[in-house]
Amino acid sequence: MNQIYFLAAEAAKKPQPVLGLFVEKNVGAFFLMLFMTVIVWVMIARARGAKKIPAIRKLAGLDAIDEAIGRATEMGRPVHFSPGLGGVTDPETFAFFATLGHVAKQAARYDTRLINTHRNQYVYAIADEIIRQAYLEAGRPDAYNPDDVRYLSPYQFAYASGVIGIFQREKIAANLMIGYFYAEALIFAEAGYQAGAIQVAGTTSTAQLPFFVAACDYTLIGEEIYAGSAYLSKDPVLTGSVVGQDIAKIGIFLLILVGTIIANFNNFGAKSNFLKDLLLK
Amino acid sequence: MRKEVPMIITVLSALAVIFGKYFFLGDQSKILTYTDKYFNISGAFAMLIGLISLTMVHTTNIRRRKEGWYNSIVLLVVMYGYLILGLIEGNKGTAFRWIYNNAFVNLDATMFSLLAFYIASAAYRAFRVRSWEATMLLVAAFLVMLGNIPPGEFLGSWVADSKNWIMRIPNTAAMRAINIGAYVGAFAVAMRILLGIERAHMGGRS
Repeated sequence: MNQIYFLAAEAAKKPQPVLGLFVEKNVGAFFLMLFMTVIVWVMIARARGAKKIPAIRKLAGLDAIDEAIGRATEMGRPVHFSPGLGGVTDPETFAFFATLGHVAKQAARYDTRLINTHRNQYVYAIADEIIRQAYLEAGRPDAYNPDDVRYLSPYQFAYASGVIGIFQREKIAANLMIGYFYAEALIFAEAGYQAGAIQVAGTTSTAQLPFFVAACDYTLIGEEIYAGSAYLSKDPVLTGSVVGQDIAKIGIFLLILVGTIIANFNNFGAKSNFLKDLLLK
Repeated sequence: MRKEVPMIITVLSALAVIFGKYFFLGDQSKILTYTDKYFNISGAFAMLIGLISLTMVHTTNIRRRKEGWYNSIVLLVVMYGYLILGLIEGNKGTAFRWIYNNAFVNLDATMFSLLAFYIASAAYRAFRVRSWEATMLLVAAFLVMLGNIPPGEFLGSWVADSKNWIMRIPNTAAMRAINIGAYVGAFAVAMRILLGIERAHMGGRS
């Protein structure tokens, strides 16, 4: 008898497909993903077809990157660039890669030293290659110094202490921080301020954004870091994807609005969970 | 082929994860388990790159007698000494754990404690009455800080109520709005990588 109950319990735990195809509770997420995919694809196709698409608004933080590199060049001091604690599976790190290519090319062009520190070994390997390639494309392969791309430590505060040591010893003139940051964000920002560096920071971490806003000269908030590659390269196809992302966001906000209205009607006894059931199917 | 092969691997891996997550394939958890295993194995190789890089940078510092070169000696001795100790004893060894618990954890806590002083200096610079937004920031920060300390209770329940309202309503709304934008932005980045439009991570122009 116990064995029957055991087998029944095992059968009950086995997941069953929804609509014969989808994993349970992921149907709504799949169609939401499909909706966003279509929107972004359409805008990319419009950009590729040279049709008119909205431009990205002015982002002071991204404009300030060139200003920061220029300041470092004039002062003859290095630029520091950190991707934070994010790994290669974090989208913020890809925003860092996109901006790193541009920064490295500018640094190569102006013969400014670029110090890039890392906490993650994957990100270090990729960044090293990006910087090397950027120096090659700028026609300055001789200026590339592999010792300036440094893997410090996988541990958060060991990495932070290594970075602030670099700030003090190398006397950096510009500190760029784009990626996902944790508690070390304020340590970097304050150490950069004490070194006299101009600081441009960008992260999606809502816990660290206030510290960056308070301590840095320019801050890129949330999704603005993802617009970096499109904004800096002025590539219309990349701009199209950013426009698609904004339209998808408007769609999500409309969904939130509809959900809020339904929830308020529920408070008056309507008792409809239609939207919740649809999205969590 | 240098760029095409990584792109093909990226697209195939992404499709495998997407199919594994959304479509019922029987025991689809195996796909995700395999990708996790491959990720961990390649991470171990990548860690070796980091170790080699650190060794090269610090041996160069010692050879050229750069400023603070003796710190590089300390780093290399500690790094390889701890590595060898871990290989001999394992991560449950007495000496290994003693060094971790009594040296590393305390050093970590020391660095973390810097934040208390850095918050004070950042707040001193940021909370100035320069514009109406800065004034609002100052007032909100003051109410939240006051609501978190015992003297705030003596002033009345309105302090805690104000703090709770600020944290629950405008703060949460702003955080969620930023997070929604970030998630959609991350999705757009993933799309660009899958379509091969974003190639910065492969050392090429986007």
